[in-house]
Amino acid sequence: MNDVVVVGGGIAGLLSAARLVAQGAKVTLVTFGVGGLQLSHGGFDVLGYAPERVDRPFDVLDDFIAANPEHPYAVLGADAVRLGTDFASEFFGDRLVGNDGRNWLLPTAVGALRPTYLASPTMVNAEARAGHDPVVVVGLQQLKDFQAELIAGNLVKQQIPARAIVLDLPARTHEADASGLTYARAMDRADYRADFAKALGKQLLSGEKALIPAIAGHHEAAAFTDLQTRLGAPLAEIPLPPPGVPGMRLNEYASRRLQDQRVRWILGARVVALHSEGGRAVSVDVATSGHLTKVRADAVVYAPGGFESGSLSLDSHGKVLETHLGLPVRVPPGRLIGPDRRSEQPLFRSGLAVDDQMRVLDDADRPVYPNLFAAGGVLAGAMRWSEKSGEGIAAASAVRAADAIGDLA
Amino acid sequence: MRTYDCDVVVVGGGSTGAGVVRDVAMRGYSAILVDRADLGQGTTGRYHGLLHSGGRYVVSDPHSATECAEENAIVTRIHASAVEATGGLFVSTPEDDLAFSDDFLAGCHKTGVPVEEISVAAALKREPRVNPGIRRAFLVEDGTVDGWQMVWGAARSAQEYGAQILTYHAVVGIEMTGSSVSAVRCIDRRSGEDVTISCRFVINAAGAWSHHIAEMAGCHDVEVVPGRGIMIAMNHRLVNTVINRCTYPADGDILVPVHTVAIIGTTDVRAEDPDELPIPADEVQQMLDCGEILIPGFRQARALHAWSGARPLVKDSRVSAQDTRHMSRGMSILDHQSRDGVSGILTIAGGKLTTYRLMAKNIVDRMCEQLGEERECRTADEAVPGSTPGETYQVTHRLHDREADRRDDQIICECELMSRTMLTDALHADPQASMDDLRRHLRLGMGPCQGGFCSLRATGIACAEGVIDAELANARLHEFLAHRWIGLWPILYGDQVRQTALDEWIFQGLLDVEHLPEPKVVLEPVPLGVAAQSLQSTTEPETTEAVR
Repeated sequence: MNDVVVVGGGIAGLLSAARLVAQGAKVTLVTFGVGGLQLSHGGFDVLGYAPERVDRPFDVLDDFIAANPEHPYAVLGADAVRLGTDFASEFFGDRLVGNDGRNWLLPTAVGALRPTYLASPTMVNAEARAGHDPVVVVGLQQLKDFQAELIAGNLVKQQIPARAIVLDLPARTHEADASGLTYARAMDRADYRADFAKALGKQLLSGEKALIPAIAGHHEAAAFTDLQTRLGAPLAEIPLPPPGVPGMRLNEYASRRLQDQRVRWILGARVVALHSEGGRAVSVDVATSGHLTKVRADAVVYAPGGFESGSLSLDSHGKVLETHLGLPVRVPPGRLIGPDRRSEQPLFRSGLAVDDQMRVLDDADRPVYPNLFAAGGVLAGAMRWSEKSGEGIAAASAVRAADAIGDLA
Repeated sequence: MRTYDCDVVVVGGGSTGAGVVRDVAMRGYSAILVDRADLGQGTTGRYHGLLHSGGRYVVSDPHSATECAEENAIVTRIHASAVEATGGLFVSTPEDDLAFSDDFLAGCHKTGVPVEEISVAAALKREPRVNPGIRRAFLVEDGTVDGWQMVWGAARSAQEYGAQILTYHAVVGIEMTGSSVSAVRCIDRRSGEDVTISCRFVINAAGAWSHHIAEMAGCHDVEVVPGRGIMIAMNHRLVNTVINRCTYPADGDILVPVHTVAIIGTTDVRAEDPDELPIPADEVQQMLDCGEILIPGFRQARALHAWSGARPLVKDSRVSAQDTRHMSRGMSILDHQSRDGVSGILTIAGGKLTTYRLMAKNIVDRMCEQLGEERECRTADEAVPGSTPGETYQVTHRLHDREADRRDDQIICECELMSRTMLTDALHADPQASMDDLRRHLRLGMGPCQGGFCSLRATGIACAEGVIDAELANARLHEFLAHRWIGLWPILYGDQVRQTALDEWIFQGLLDVEHLPEPKVVLEPVPLGVAAQSLQSTTEPETTEAVR
């Protein structure tokens, strides 16, 4: 039980690979895209709404599980959620902070206050749970996904003394339209940080915290601290719509660490078939360029993501599909999509059903194969984006699947 | 209380009303157009974008075919910037009776609709995605026309001739002096103000809603029969030529390339209420099946958005033969003087967008006749402002513009290549504009992501420009997303499901827009049509009643 194929490069795939190599497995990670982390806010959610805002997720988990028996958390149990969260916290080290039982409450790029359990240290100065220090929201003329007036206006409505300023400071000369990533790359350079701190410093009032878009460095880990020191005032990043730099930082850290630990990486390739012998999965076919590559597997962790990744879909006749391997999908009863956008669309609770070991189940609740496991967004039963539960589910299911594979050995 | 005084009030800001107000203004009358919503928000904005060559009607309705052929040339000339000269093909698919193609060709010759038969190989070379099993192909002069651009062009022209356009003014009453219409009472829906417009004449061009207006003048029993049709916009231009099935007019017989999309249409089902237009699941399936016949693999293409429009057909048992003597087939003029004994008001309905100018001419001719005045129609003679004859629209125009300004300006909507300057100009031109008003002008949010990125930017920029505050921005954002959803959920499958999931990750997962400070302002939009059924076979069929 040594060769494990992990399908998917999002947080579920990364954490299961990490857990598996720690157990001595030989892991091949197959990923078609760059993984879901750069779509994320760069923090780690456990439970943010149930449906009211949650301040201490582990205190309400038992009630949440009782109310949502089909949810992955109910299949896993509260202890697994704790275990997964602790594993993620340990894995990412000081790149994610918190884990003290409480959710952070952090402003978003429209000025809502969003709960999350573990946060990037570059964001926590914006914490809004206690104390309302005056803040200045710092927009950039050349960055369209961060409209400072809107953010400040909404913060004021939530009793946070806020004002907006907009700096005219291109990331590259002659570029009116830059992404957050372009800015983050500029911020990797000390001279640009100096220019930014100077331009902002002129407008900063004493006692104000500065909330900037999440652009404080891409590869340069010290960029944020350096910028804050130059500014001489508390600084916080607010995550932007994708591509999100904080998620990319986590993704790159995790990828490098796993590659250092000899995880074999097959990039840009889709898994197109799963082969079995004697009732067990034995290999997967990977559509590498020009030919199929067969990868032998003693076990498979299937973590390709949900609808947003294209791993789950709905065809034009209304049938819900798992698109890569055609695995059986668990679909909620009744209408899947309804006319009211703001009410829940049950379609998005569709996904793979699993047992408490994370083995994929067929329609009769029997494991499809005893060594085929699933983790993360492909699992049935959650509304991750509204619950704010995505990373918690991913970590708990990844750890459980990896541990179950360890037990098989 | 505001008051105005003019010769003619035109009720209805669709293509017919805009054509009428332009026509009366060009004939020297002072005129005011009122609409309860924005221009082109009814049927004019809810069709497939076809500028008819006339080919569709050469067998079923030869008179209309000739009118279409003539008006096509006029509209292409006077509204060049709104028209794309795509050309059209009539193709006999393996499903179609080949005998009809002979009738079609003969009909074209008889009605004066320009046509040229080309080989199947030539047709497939021109449009490689078309069903390779087609047996005959005919080239015609179909084009596409942006109904909004056309209406605004006509409205701008009317304004240059002194007319006023009052949008978001709902008619609440018509005042009479004796049996003559003397004034129209409105309410300004955005300010709540009462408005009275004294006038000599009212032209009722309220389309599928015209019976309500007629009733206010004491003209009873005008029966409007809204003929509902659905259309689906597919991602990309699957074809660059309008593709028609060479058959007697039927459901789902046309695929129209408009702007960046291709639109399949349509159905024809009697609707009870033009404000409640569902997009039923079975009709969506029907359109996809029809698409497969024209373009094999159609179902694998991505559907972006669906909508439903109501053809304003008037059925009137009390109308006598003499009332229709000036009438063209397909358009109805109700003469309330002879019909109801009420003078100073005419109702026009029916017709086609392609013949909007001719409809306007016909009814304004009738008005002049009733007023005992002779004034010549000149609407075919000059181009509308902003449009140069010969310079028709091309889908690459915006790409060209963005290439020119890309170093100095931002692209706020990547799907539709809308720049920041385009947005801020529109915001300042109409600070009260809703996101949907802006969308109609700018195509904001009409591309593949359906507002996933641009709606946030646009509301944020409206704040930055000081046009709205954060609370109103939140309300506008939610309103816009709710309206996009009306046309999204009935066709949600394939890649558009993935897009929707990504959009929800951004809106809810990342930004938590559902927990923005709840706006105290409640926006009450004009009904936009309701999608009553989803795609899923598991759907319980719902009645329209249940959706209300």
